[in-house]
Amino acid sequence: MAATAMLESERPVIHRLPQHKYIDAVRWLPPLSTFDRFAVLAAFDTDSGSSSIEIHSLNPNPLSLQPHSSFSSSSRVSSLRASQFLQKTVVAASTAAGSLHILFSDPADATFESEVSMPEEEGLHSVPGSCVDLMDGGVECVTVGEDGRVNLVSIGNSNLSRDRLFDSGGLVSYTAAKWASPMEFATGGYGFSLQWWDKRKPGGPVSQFKANWDQKFTAGIVHSIDIHPSRKHTCLAGGSLGTVFAWDLRWQQQPIILSGAEVQSISESEVWEVQYDRCIKSSATSTRILPAMICSEDGILAVIEQGEEPIELLAEPCAINGFDIDRHNPSDVICSLEWEAVAILTRR
Amino acid sequence: MSRVASDTVGNGALVPFSEDTKDSLAVYPLHHGLAPPISRIAISWARGNSLRVSLFATPSSEPSRTPQDQSGGKVLEVKLGVGDPEISDSRWRQIAYGSVAPFALLQSRRSALSEMIKSSSPYQMDWWENVLEYSKDITSLLSGPKLPPGPIIEERTDIVKKREEPTCLKAAWELLEIFYADKQSQAWLPEKLVDWLADYDSLFSSTHETVYGKLARFQKELVDIQVLEDDPRYWEVMSSALSVGWLDIVVKMLRLHGSYQLDQLSNRELENGLVEAVAVLISKMPRLCHESTNGKLGELFKSKPDFIKAWEKWRSQITKLDCSPFWIQCGNHHTREGLRNLLQIMLGNTESLCMATCYWIELYISHFLYIRPFTTGIESMYNLAQKCIQLKPPSSNHKLTGLIVGILEENTEVVLAESSREFGPWMVAHAIELLTAGSEQAEIVLHDERYNLGGISMIELHRLVYAQVLSSHALTWQIAPIYLTSCMKQGMGLLENLLYRQSIQHNDLLLKNIEICRLYELDHISSDIMKVAGVYHWKHGHKGAGVYWLQQSKDTSRLNRIAQQLFDSVGKSISDESFKQWEGLIELLGSESKPAGGLEFLHKYRDFKRSLQQVYGGKATDAARQAVGSLILLMKNPSTPQRFWLPLLYDSLKLFNWHECPLLNVSETNLLLNKLQELSWARLHPHFSEPNLPAEALSSIRLALATNLGRAILDE
Repeated sequence: MAATAMLESERPVIHRLPQHKYIDAVRWLPPLSTFDRFAVLAAFDTDSGSSSIEIHSLNPNPLSLQPHSSFSSSSRVSSLRASQFLQKTVVAASTAAGSLHILFSDPADATFESEVSMPEEEGLHSVPGSCVDLMDGGVECVTVGEDGRVNLVSIGNSNLSRDRLFDSGGLVSYTAAKWASPMEFATGGYGFSLQWWDKRKPGGPVSQFKANWDQKFTAGIVHSIDIHPSRKHTCLAGGSLGTVFAWDLRWQQQPIILSGAEVQSISESEVWEVQYDRCIKSSATSTRILPAMICSEDGILAVIEQGEEPIELLAEPCAINGFDIDRHNPSDVICSLEWEAVAILTRR
Repeated sequence: MSRVASDTVGNGALVPFSEDTKDSLAVYPLHHGLAPPISRIAISWARGNSLRVSLFATPSSEPSRTPQDQSGGKVLEVKLGVGDPEISDSRWRQIAYGSVAPFALLQSRRSALSEMIKSSSPYQMDWWENVLEYSKDITSLLSGPKLPPGPIIEERTDIVKKREEPTCLKAAWELLEIFYADKQSQAWLPEKLVDWLADYDSLFSSTHETVYGKLARFQKELVDIQVLEDDPRYWEVMSSALSVGWLDIVVKMLRLHGSYQLDQLSNRELENGLVEAVAVLISKMPRLCHESTNGKLGELFKSKPDFIKAWEKWRSQITKLDCSPFWIQCGNHHTREGLRNLLQIMLGNTESLCMATCYWIELYISHFLYIRPFTTGIESMYNLAQKCIQLKPPSSNHKLTGLIVGILEENTEVVLAESSREFGPWMVAHAIELLTAGSEQAEIVLHDERYNLGGISMIELHRLVYAQVLSSHALTWQIAPIYLTSCMKQGMGLLENLLYRQSIQHNDLLLKNIEICRLYELDHISSDIMKVAGVYHWKHGHKGAGVYWLQQSKDTSRLNRIAQQLFDSVGKSISDESFKQWEGLIELLGSESKPAGGLEFLHKYRDFKRSLQQVYGGKATDAARQAVGSLILLMKNPSTPQRFWLPLLYDSLKLFNWHECPLLNVSETNLLLNKLQELSWARLHPHFSEPNLPAEALSSIRLALATNLGRAILDE
């Protein structure tokens, strides 16, 4: 289905910045002052085979990213989060080898000043692949993995302590996680499954999403989850086959499909990331799902809204592997492109 | 062949063995960090241009417990070759990414065009216009980063300026564009070459003396020279710049002449007049040009007759000035000789041109400018080039000269070979599009299927080679399919190979791989890949992921087989708490419309367990009735494995002995008794495995069922 045509004056300003490294993940850093802006990039240099987590400063005129501070990671970063805690910026990164790095950056000049890690030997996750989410306020992380483990990691100044909430022993794999409140979080996995967890109730998920994905609809893998702070009962998920759906905990049986199958599908391939779009003031009533931004394997960055035509922001010849909307400046979006580049969009 | 030279040549360095090759012998130390001695070395090809060297340490006799000693060897990857000094690996990848879209667009236009020809549509666009657009896209891709703009207030002495760092690759591409793709420029070929040399003369400085090199050197010394016009280099450099047509530079340099200084103007009036006259003549030089290029000196003409007329007028003005009596009155010897030399160059004096230029290409260009300004046709251009090479034989070969000669010779094979040798597979695969647009003869040569190439054409061969290069790198393999699918004969086969070869361990990569299958409608391959992924995950203990991928690939037979394995672990956990872990997996199996093989049983089993748990939790008879319903469904279903019958019945003992009323009716009880009978027959089978239950299990079930039967009969 064709996306809504945009007027030339409404089109976002797009800057593509080659990085000469594969960008595994990208996030905005919470702003430290009104003038300086920073982004954190997880990069993989194939020439040297080394991975790093880098803070780049954003220079206007001409728009460019300047390497600012770097931390070298032992393995490729599988997911990356940034948050603020007591005036300090906290960056959490999980790696393909199953380790977890928590980096603290100096509030004055945005350089990494200290780091605590949980190396792969500690068995947080066995390979391959794990995903991390950092609680707002940054004192606790949840990590989930394909190995079926759900861990809570609390962050201290000099050490991390781990608490295994659940271990499915590989019977169920988890591919995405997102905090809903300081006590609850959601996870996603194969077969478009979603689980709702409560820290206070260990031993298994509190609630499981079990839609009847019938014949006309094939289930895939959930790649990303978002939960809006004002609507904690709704879990937004994006995954295979261009599917984006919402799970309302109050009406458990039926998913609300925003994109995919025959509904407003803007992409047919993997949706790698979803985030509620805080920039668009929705005309929708409170019963509708808030507008969301997605990026996909076939190079689409778009905003979708329940019952509306999707708005395409970017159509690249290569995959868009991830993006982040600046929370404090929601018109700005940073994307990681498959072809060793980063794109920065400014919406008007 | 190799051996380990242990103590004599460094610490375990790898040395080529043969004695005859001593001269070309190169020793590269490998830093492997293993303690000698090393017992065995294995060398194999890794990805791309690298070797994988596996070193095995001799197992030490004493068992040591330090962590460093525990590794029995090490695997190293050794990159071969130094690569292109001009263009880094990451820049090459950037070029590879950027050329995908123009290439794909051109291919789709070609197939659209052939459709149009088939339907004999009256409208046919000239094909070369498409190729030219493609070529322009590639050119802009090859442009390096713009150099930072110079100071806003220009230095008086700034004579050479660069807008961007030139590269041989871009120079070669533009050359091919001029000769093959841009049909409109055919009439302006010499003029285009003049522009081309102005942009790229600096590249030749690596192997030859060049006009650019002379200028750059002179510019550095310029500030230290007191009386410019008395320095012979000043005149020499200007004559060189003029000979290759860099008019703006010459005019700018002429205006640096001492006679322009205010304090000297009065007593050097005549001298200054001559300098200015030459400068004006230079800036008025007629030039043939189809588009007005800004900032270019000379008078531009778009039509040839106008140009010829203007040229002859201009020449006569020069001759007039050359014969002027003022020269005798000019007191400054340097100025007089220098200026007259400039005039000689403009008059096309072969000797002066030969003196002013540094190597044959510059001489060639100067011929176009001043001796044969009306040259057309590539044949005469080739003869002229040969003459210039004779006049200035090249001492060493630059990577661009071979290509230039090949183009002028009109020898497609040489052009291809030179492009391949000097610029690599990317260049050939993309430049071939320009060559085929050039001439029918080239098109026949390139499209002809050749027996010695295994029945494929040159075009296909070079695309395959390039695709192979792309395939060998972890970041570029995903663009190889675009080139492979444009190869009619071997492309699809190699694409299948490529897709099968990718790792399935990481979901990101696996899903990208499946996406490519979807784009090219290779369903059978994606199904195979999903099977492999399913088995991989299963073997590594990610049972859920394994089941998911096997379901996606609709592989019922494997699902059946792993179901048997799963039941072993289900059976063990039949009455313990860990059943909670299974729930997620059972959810994954989804609705009954999906192929789940023998795993379908798990669904009903889960329902049964749930209601049974409620019964044990002290819930009412309703829950018990539900449990019985599930039990009967399970026992009726043929997919329920026989080995589960007894444990299921044993778990249900409480239901059979329900004290309020009999929960099973007569026919249901008979069904269960029959199953029990079947089971005792099966026990005689040699492969029957006894479930892990108490010895009296069977008899207590029999008793309970018999009691229930009695009560049921009474009830009815």
